[in-house]
Amino acid sequence: MMCEDMDKLVESSVTEVFSTMLNFNLESVPPDDPLLNGEQHIASAVGFIGRLTGVVYLYVGSGFAVRITSGLVGIPANEIDGNEMVNDAMGEMANMVVGHIKSTLSDRGLPCQLTIPSIVRGNQFSIEPVSTTQRRVFKFKTGTDQLLVEMLIKPVGGH
Amino acid sequence: MKPKILTVDDSKTIRLIVAKAFKQFDCDVFEAANGVEGLAVANREKPDIIILDITMPIMDGAETLAKLKSNPDLKNIPVVMLTAEAGRENVLRIAKLGVRDYLVKPFKEDLLVERVGRVIELKAKGESLQRIRRFDDPLALLVVDDKPTIIEQISTGLSDTPWTVNGRSQMGEAVDFCSQHSPDAVVVSLSLPEGSGFNLFQMLRANSKTKNTPIFGMCVKTATEDQARAQQMGFSGVLNKPIDLEDLKAKIARSLKLDTSYKYFQVRSGILAVIIPTHASAATLNEVTQHLRAKVSEAVDSGISKLVLDLSLLKSADINLVKLGLETIQLCQELSLRQRVVASDSVRTECRNYEETKDWSFVGTFEDAAKVLNEPAMATAA
Repeated sequence: MMCEDMDKLVESSVTEVFSTMLNFNLESVPPDDPLLNGEQHIASAVGFIGRLTGVVYLYVGSGFAVRITSGLVGIPANEIDGNEMVNDAMGEMANMVVGHIKSTLSDRGLPCQLTIPSIVRGNQFSIEPVSTTQRRVFKFKTGTDQLLVEMLIKPVGGH
Repeated sequence: MKPKILTVDDSKTIRLIVAKAFKQFDCDVFEAANGVEGLAVANREKPDIIILDITMPIMDGAETLAKLKSNPDLKNIPVVMLTAEAGRENVLRIAKLGVRDYLVKPFKEDLLVERVGRVIELKAKGESLQRIRRFDDPLALLVVDDKPTIIEQISTGLSDTPWTVNGRSQMGEAVDFCSQHSPDAVVVSLSLPEGSGFNLFQMLRANSKTKNTPIFGMCVKTATEDQARAQQMGFSGVLNKPIDLEDLKAKIARSLKLDTSYKYFQVRSGILAVIIPTHASAATLNEVTQHLRAKVSEAVDSGISKLVLDLSLLKSADINLVKLGLETIQLCQELSLRQRVVASDSVRTECRNYEETKDWSFVGTFEDAAKVLNEPAMATAA
């Protein structure tokens, strides 16, 4: 699969999920500035294993994560207590984005399985790929909120 | 009794989304985080529908579904599968599992409600507090026409119903009647002098007591301007003179959401009979069609697996009847029901004039149909 096709697939999957589940219109912007702004941020990740192997991370600030959770479950943001519900919501968002990607890959003869979601929280961290892995970064904005999506992908069988 | 919805998903977020989607409806939503819990809740609560995730720890959706299908108490509960993967292979795999429907994440809540609403009856909270009226409940109709014969004709034509027809010849009398009584529906001539039929409509709509009362206009077929004006003003419908009384009954029933299904759907000897009445106008067949899926699904959910389309009261067949028959048979195939069509020789012959009925299995009486359908499945074709 060409890089350009994969980029379009990731972008369309992310925008589709956020639009359908939350009515958020995400605008794709150049991923030049880092997301980090001193706020704690949360990365939810889901991997895929098959003809293509990789992992997709969704990075958002913790405030945006709470708003996403609130939009999904219908509980006001100020009533969302603790991390558990937010972790679950962000994990589910990553699951849906990668599920969407997986469906298209499967239809194109690149079947794969998904891993369970995982969550990382912190104020200052980054995830680095090893040298054999390709890295694609995407950034989206909606209002004042930002979302960074990172895909690390390792081809199997020469793709 | 409120319908029960069971959502089985390892994601608390999804379970909350499902609960939120049905918050405005009069139903109970139960949750389970995996298949094992789901089976326990299903055994306890006997839900009317299960929304089941595929990928779950401990016991996944496919295994849960298999266990539901192997339990005689639970096998008929309809299941809607949720999946994050929309690929062709996955969709085909789900379809083979024997689910009623499936939904791909991400999904809009409206879509989830619509899909579930196809299987169980969902009512907005508060709506179910109002008793659903039946076609054979008493109703008060007001008929306003300066021609006494029209009032007489309608009164005589509706004498086989418990509906009371109150006739008035002028707008003023009609307004007086409505101030003292609350008619359930009004039928007014559009040819009353000086457009008073239209004035009456406006007065009734302006009054809080009658603003939602169905109001039908009557006119001759050639009075196209009156018909257009009535439609534009918002009349509930227009009836052409000479009045087709079956059409009038159907229109009133529809506007008041009267339950007419009992006239056409009965369970006899464990078989769902879809009974087409003698005077099966297009409006009547349309009525049957509107109830068809809900009533057949309801029967399947209660354990019925056989259906008889009873045309024995009919003297002839037409294309509308054939369409209803095709829809019924297709629904039976979809829901794995065995079926037969009961019809006289003459109706059978007329049906056979339509190529589409070549696979219909006809019998002469309901008893013949019951005998065939009660035989073991291997002995007969569905």
